[in-house]
Order: sequence, then structure tokens, then C-alpha cells
Amino acid sequence: MKISLNWLNEFVDVPESPEQLRSRLTGVGLAVDALDKAGDDFIYELDIATNRPDCLGHVGVAREVGAIYGVSLRMPKFEMREGVKPAADVFSISIEDPEQCGRYCGRYIEGVKIGPSPDWLKNRLEALGVRSINNVADVTNYVMLELSQPLHAFDADRLVKRKIIVRRARPGEKMTTLDGVERNLDPSMLMIADAEHSVAVAGVMGGAPTEISADTTKVLLESANFNPFSIRKTSRALGLTSEASYRFERGADIEMARFACDRAASLIQLVAGGTVCRGVIDIYPGKRKPAVVQLRRNRIQSFLGGAVQDAVVERIFQRLGFKYTATTDGWSIEVPSYRIDIALEEDLLDEIARHHGFDKFPATLPPYAGYGASLPFEPEERLLRNRVAAQGYSEIITMALSDEHTERRFRPDIEPVKLLNPMAEDQSILRTSLVSSMLRSLQWNLNRGMRDLQFYELGKVYRNGGERRWLILAATGMLRPKSVHESERSFNFYDLKGDVEDVLQTFDADGGFTSEKPATYYHPGRFARVGDTVLFGELHPQYVEEFKLRQRVYLAELSVDLILRSRPQRQIQPIPRFPSIRRDLSLLVNKSVTYVEVLAAIPRPKELVKIEPFDRVESGPFPESKYSLAISLWYQSNERTLTDAEVEELHNGVLRALAAKGMEQRK
Amino acid sequence: MSSKTGIEQLRAIEEQFDRECGAVSDPRSLEEIRNRYLSRKSGILTTQLQNLKDLPSNERAEFGKSANQLKGKIESALATLETTIQEREKTSALQREAVDITLPGNHRRIGHRHPLTIVRKEIEDIFISMGYTVEDGPEVESTFNNFDALNIPASHPARDPRDTFYISDDQLLRTHTSPVQIRTMQKMKPPVRIICPGRVFRRDAMDPTHLPMFHQVEALVVDEGITFADLKGTLERFHKQFFGETTKTRLRPSFFPFVEPGAEVDVSCVFCGAAGCRVCKGSGWIEVMGSGMVHPNVFKAVNYDTDKYTGFAFGGGIERYAMLKYNINDLQLYIQNDMRFLEQF
Repeated sequence: MKISLNWLNEFVDVPESPEQLRSRLTGVGLAVDALDKAGDDFIYELDIATNRPDCLGHVGVAREVGAIYGVSLRMPKFEMREGVKPAADVFSISIEDPEQCGRYCGRYIEGVKIGPSPDWLKNRLEALGVRSINNVADVTNYVMLELSQPLHAFDADRLVKRKIIVRRARPGEKMTTLDGVERNLDPSMLMIADAEHSVAVAGVMGGAPTEISADTTKVLLESANFNPFSIRKTSRALGLTSEASYRFERGADIEMARFACDRAASLIQLVAGGTVCRGVIDIYPGKRKPAVVQLRRNRIQSFLGGAVQDAVVERIFQRLGFKYTATTDGWSIEVPSYRIDIALEEDLLDEIARHHGFDKFPATLPPYAGYGASLPFEPEERLLRNRVAAQGYSEIITMALSDEHTERRFRPDIEPVKLLNPMAEDQSILRTSLVSSMLRSLQWNLNRGMRDLQFYELGKVYRNGGERRWLILAATGMLRPKSVHESERSFNFYDLKGDVEDVLQTFDADGGFTSEKPATYYHPGRFARVGDTVLFGELHPQYVEEFKLRQRVYLAELSVDLILRSRPQRQIQPIPRFPSIRRDLSLLVNKSVTYVEVLAAIPRPKELVKIEPFDRVESGPFPESKYSLAISLWYQSNERTLTDAEVEELHNGVLRALAAKGMEQRK
Repeated sequence: MSSKTGIEQLRAIEEQFDRECGAVSDPRSLEEIRNRYLSRKSGILTTQLQNLKDLPSNERAEFGKSANQLKGKIESALATLETTIQEREKTSALQREAVDITLPGNHRRIGHRHPLTIVRKEIEDIFISMGYTVEDGPEVESTFNNFDALNIPASHPARDPRDTFYISDDQLLRTHTSPVQIRTMQKMKPPVRIICPGRVFRRDAMDPTHLPMFHQVEALVVDEGITFADLKGTLERFHKQFFGETTKTRLRPSFFPFVEPGAEVDVSCVFCGAAGCRVCKGSGWIEVMGSGMVHPNVFKAVNYDTDKYTGFAFGGGIERYAMLKYNINDLQLYIQNDMRFLEQF
């Protein structure tokens, strides 16, 4: 809302500079977005909150200024000479839907001469960015900017039977609005009609056929009050907004309608001549009963946290136009009709706080006997984040919106949460896994020349009726790029597996890995899972190609909530007091036998404390059906240092057991 | 050979040794000179001592004494020389191992935290230290918790489907973290002192100043006797903790349906120290939050006694706080996940 300082000065005396006024206005909640000098005037761009439609006009803002400085408000003064002919004899107005239209004031003016506005009028409007149209239309805009009351002027000769009927649109009815667009109307919309047709969309926009034109000589001036919800609904339904609808949908002052009607009629007479017929035709079925709110004195201290003197309280309400009477414990306060935002004691306390000044209240900390706490499992979450960061994964945060086609590729069986009103097709559902957004993040970086990447995201995935947090790890390119110090090495499956194992061990959640039921987007030969809580492996080459990644990508997905919950209390193991003794062995194993099967064949006396493979050779001087596997075994006792003979005996037992399973020592 | 001659010879040997000794600088020539003078078979001094038996007995003692003195001198000179050479050898061995310390260090890859996580955890920790409990709630919310209970009735423009993602008539993607306030008040009686960080959604196309998905953190305090002054003090304390002790906080009257009075929260510009700059548009202040005293209609929605309890609430965007902390000027950076951005944290 633009406000002219010169115009404002007609209603109130501003004792400070334009800059000082700017910060005062901001201080009472009329935020000033911009202040521009324009000739001898200053224009304030105000950001008026939706609950203060009374400040969508100069008089309303002047009232606030009056309260700021403790000076009086001067309402616009005007004189009007009415003709002898009563308007009601010439014209009739009726309201069929008083729920939607609480008041309709009309003035009938004959003998006007349409032409350009005088300079003072034109300049005022143009200074505020409003285009001058003609003298009568300009007056309606002027009064709206002055009093926040939207008005409309009809060419009365074009109103069939000189009637105004406020009614719902008829099914299938059409009307061309002032902007030249033919509108399809429906019975949910409130219209202004004459005896035959709709002539305006009530409170939103007039119709083209009844528009003031150069030939107009008789004007029916409308100053009405409409239900805000009705205006908003109609405006949305038609996709049509205007300065009028902007004010009506926030709520206009029903008591202002008549004053504004007279004010505008007098100005029309001034700039366009003519005779104003006697009397306002004022149809007012929704007569407002003034609201009275009680304000308890002690609430000022107990709610705002600081005392305000009675005299200050009373001055604020008086300047803002509230009537008050003293009660035993405070005041009984009558809310003026333009303050549609005031209904409760707290609303009155807000008036005191903002006009006394937010800065005048102390800043205290509330007393509290309780204690603070993080979310459950927050320490575990932080440990997890530290682990994966130490493994080299950087955190990403991605959009939770995706499209169903993409998400189904990774979670074909999950019923996604669909948006009724997406902005774009590729943002029409909530993601069902973290995979697609991770692949897009990799793609973003690969396309920009960053090839060695490790990312993680800890985020929600969604399905109908549930939100779960998952962790996804992704790695691609070199684990170690070539440098002056070292040769390069690609990230591989076992790097990923090590990271997954470390995460699981951190939370004592390591379970058995299987390669069963590989998910379709994983490389079928490089995939493992732990139930449905952990999936990891290399991305299927077909997906690499589709997501234009051009290099191998490793992914691990972990259901985080389960993992974080599985961390038990940790008790330390004592450090061994006696040395361990290592024995290596080299086995020939059938190619169909996995390492876990070899492990299973090794007996476990309690002195065998650790087993670690250190070499695997696929071909050599041994049958093609076999591979060679070298393993280190560590023997150790808690009670004493083991002798060579004891270790030898234990180790021979291992060798015999392996041989019994067909795994001979390599000669 | 008379002893006189013998002693002169010893003197010549000594002079010769002194000359040769000065030229010795490495372990090999040290061994050579030791052998040349002291070798049991052919050492120059050994040979001289072997001549001892040919001397008349009265000269033997004197010659023998001089020869032994010379032997002692040579041995000690060679021992000193040996120590010197060994020290020099160690030093030069270390010198040969010297590296070019100006080459870059060998970096192991470390992961970086996302700035939104850093800032979120920092905010959480500040409030936990002030006695707040962290709460969370679902992102798919009921329209009741997101709107109705927060004094935003069905007719309110904030509920327009142009601004809010709907799942159904009564379900939506939460547009703020405020529904967590409702959930918390529904499950517990005052005193309430919580913060709720989390992800929210608005129907805004992505550009440098808008994201359809972003993060908020909100606080709610409800108890007997909570005042507007408490709201001011709490915001002041938080911002000093987050931005630094010199930070000022200002409340400006504003309107939000779920609070009364409502206030915008400004902090003194972190870039110019409130002197006025491009970021604060010359005002010295930057808007960071919305706040206010909880509206009685919100308490009514959760069956709190509005005569007994008062409360305050405030909330802001985590993206905004991270922007101010790290001078980030484009919201899209947060979700593009460009490594060149992420590795700076």
C-alpha cells in the first residue's frame, strides 16, 4: 500500500521528519518497505498485515500516526448540495442475499459531464501508481485510497429499470468484466444486477456494458459492504483480483460505507458537475452491533511483563478511536467498526504493547524448574554421522519430492504418497527411497568434473501411512586419487562393505549378509543385504547408463531407526595379558566354496582368537577348479603364554578339520 | 740405534701423525690411519716398540715411556676423531632423508557435514542448554494440526492450494513446524518448553530465494505467568549465543494468526554490525523470525485453560540462519549438493 505524506498531512500533523516517521510506522507494525522522495512529496510503501484492512487507506494510517504522536485525526471535510428530487424515487436497490452483502449505499447523480480529471486529482492518483481514467472513475479510486472503502460507479442509463439487485449469479450466466474478458458465472458468486442482467461481480470488478463512458450523464454510485469469504471465493474462482477485492476480502468497515458514498458524491459534483439527488439509498440488513471487550489492568503486567500507566493506556485507546469506560479492575472497551481484528483482551494488550513500544518492555528469561533434552537417539545419530564422515562421506540434503515412475524403479511395491496439487510432474509424489535423489546429486557433480565422490544422506522416505529415516551411502571414482605421494586406487565393493560393516559394528547391529533377492537396480553379482534393513552393492550398469553416471557407483541403504535403536550398553573387554602367536596357511579351495564356508569349516577352540584372509589367487600351478586362499590365524590364551607345541597341536587340529572338508594345504 | 735417535724418530712419527690425522674425515681413512700406526703386525709405532729390545738397557726406559706416551696420544686422538666422524655421519644420514616440506600434505578424505545440519544442531544445543526439549513430528500432517488448531480457519487464504501441497482434503505436507506444537500440547500439560526443528513444504517454484522444501525451527513455551518480556529475553539470549554477544534483537509488531501480539524478529546486521550494508538494505537490521504470544484460540484447540496459562512461540528458517552465518546468497546451493560447496564446511 502506497501512502503519500502530503495526503496524510491533510488528516494529521506529522511533527517529525519523513525518515523518523518511517521508523515510527515500522515500530507500530506498519512496516515500511520503501520511502521515496517524489517532488515535494514522500511516498511510503507500506506492508500492511492482512488483519489491518483499515490501514489500506490514508485516513486509517493517519489514525495510527495520531496515536504515535498523540495528535488528533481530522476526517475529510466536504460540502454537498443535494437536489430536490429524492434518489429513492428514481432508483431502487435491494439485497437478496444479506449474508453476503450486509450493506449497500447508493447515490444517484444526474447531469454529470465525463472528462479528464483536474490535475490535483490526477497527480494524487499517479503519485501512488494509479492510472487516471476519467473524472468519475478517478473519484471512486481517490475515495478508496482515502477511506479504504472501495466504490463503483455505474452508467445509470444502462441499468435496466433503474434497479440494483444484489443476488447470486444464475446458472450459466455470463458477463464481460471491465478488463474485456467474458466471465462464466455460477450461483456461488455474488453479483450486482439490474432488473435483467448481472452488471458487476460484487466487490471484485464492474461489467463493461455499464461502465462510465464519455456519453455518461447519470451515475449510480455504489458504496457497499460484502462478506470477505464470499469475495475471496469469487475472486479465486474467477482468477480475478482488484484493489476492491483486495480490501473486501480482508474486511471493509461497514459503518464507513455511507460516509464514503457521500464523500465520493461530493467529489463527483466537484470535478464532473451534475446534481446529486436527495438522500442516500442505504440498505443495511447487517446492522453491526459494537463489540465490547473487557481489559483487566493486572493483565498488562502479567501478560506483557511490564507496567503501563493508566493514562498511557487510555491515551492509546482514545487516539485509536476506541471508547472506554473504567471498571473496577480495568476498562470496558468498545471496538470501533473499522477494527475488525479486535475481539479478545489479548488483542487490546497488543494495541497497548505496540503503541507503548515493544522496546519499552523488559527482556527477561522465563523461570523454569525442568531440564532440556535432545530427541531420543540423538547421541546415536551424532555417533553415526561422525562414523560416516570419518569414512569420507560428505552429507547431502535433497528434495523429498519426486515422480512416481522414477521412484517405482527403486521401490516397485511401495504405494507412494501423492500430491493433489503438484507444481510439476517430476515433483508429484514423496520419495519412497533415497536412491534417485542421491543418483541425481552424483550426476550433478560428475557433470561438473568432480569424479571422486563419497556422499551420504540421512533422510526420510515416505509411504502411505508412514515416514521412516534411512541412511544412504554412495561412492564413485577413486578412493585415493593419484598424487605426488601415492598411486591411485578406485573405490571398490569391499571398501563399501567395510564401511557398512563398521557402521553396523558401531551399533552392534551386524547381521548375516546374503546375496539373495538382489534388488533390480543393483549389480546381480555385487550385491548383499541384511534382511530388508540393509542393502548394498554396486549400481547396475544399466542404471549407471540411464542416470548418465559414466562410472561405477557403489550404494548402501540402511534403515536408520532400527540401527540406532539396536545399540546396547557397552562394556569393555580386558586387554589380553599374554602374547598371540600367528600361523599362516594356504589352502586350495573349490571355486564354488565361499570364504564364509571356509570359515565355517575351521574349528573354534577358545585359543583361536582371530582369523584373517590375506591372499586369494584364482589361477596357478593347481587345478583350474580351485583357487588358493591364504589365511592367518592367531592363537592366544587368557591364562598363559602358549608354547610352540601347544600352538602346533591347535593348528594341526585346524588343518585336519579343513582337510576333512576337502580343503587341502597348498604344497 | 741410540735412544736419542729413537726419540727423534718418535718425534718425527708424532709430527707425521699430526699431519695425517688432520686429513682424516671418513670411517675408511680413520681405519687406515689406525692400522698404519697401531696395527699389531706392521703399525709404525708397533715397529718402533719392537726395536725396544735392541736399545741399551739404560735407554730402554726413557724410550719406552716416550713411545707409550705417543701411543696413548694417538689412541686418544683417533678415538676423538672416531666420535666426530660418527656424529657427522649420523647428521648427514638425516640430511639425506630430508623431504620437501613445501609439497602438499597427503590428505585422507574426510566427510563434511551439510551446513543445514551444522546450524540445526547448533540451534538445538543452544536451546537444550536453556532447558528446552527437542520434539519432532511427521511431515505429512492433518489440516487440523497444520491450520485449524493454529487459528487458521478453513476460510483463511493461507490454506489456498496455490500455496500448500495437499495430499487429500484433510492431509497435507506441513507448511510449518507449528503442528508439532499442537501435537506436544495434546500429549502433555504445561509447563511446556520445546523446540521443533524439521522439514516443511510450500508451493513455491525454486529460485535463489525460494525452495518448495526447506527447514524451520520453532520454539514453544507455555506455563503460568509467561510474558511478552520473556519472549523478548529468550530471543535476545538465543541470538547472542548464536551470532555473538554483541548481537542485538528487535521485535516489530506484525500479524500471524496463531499469536497475539505477533512480532517480526530482527537481529542487528551480522555483516555490517548494524552500520548499514547491502544485505540489510542499509537498515542495520535483518529479519530472521516470526514470534508472538500464543493466541488463546490455539490453547482452546488443545484444551489448555486460557485463564491459567500463557505462552510464547517463535520460529524461523534454518536456511536463513545458515545464510547469515556463512554468507550464502542462493538457497538452491543447499539442495544442489555441489561438492565445491559442501567441502567448505
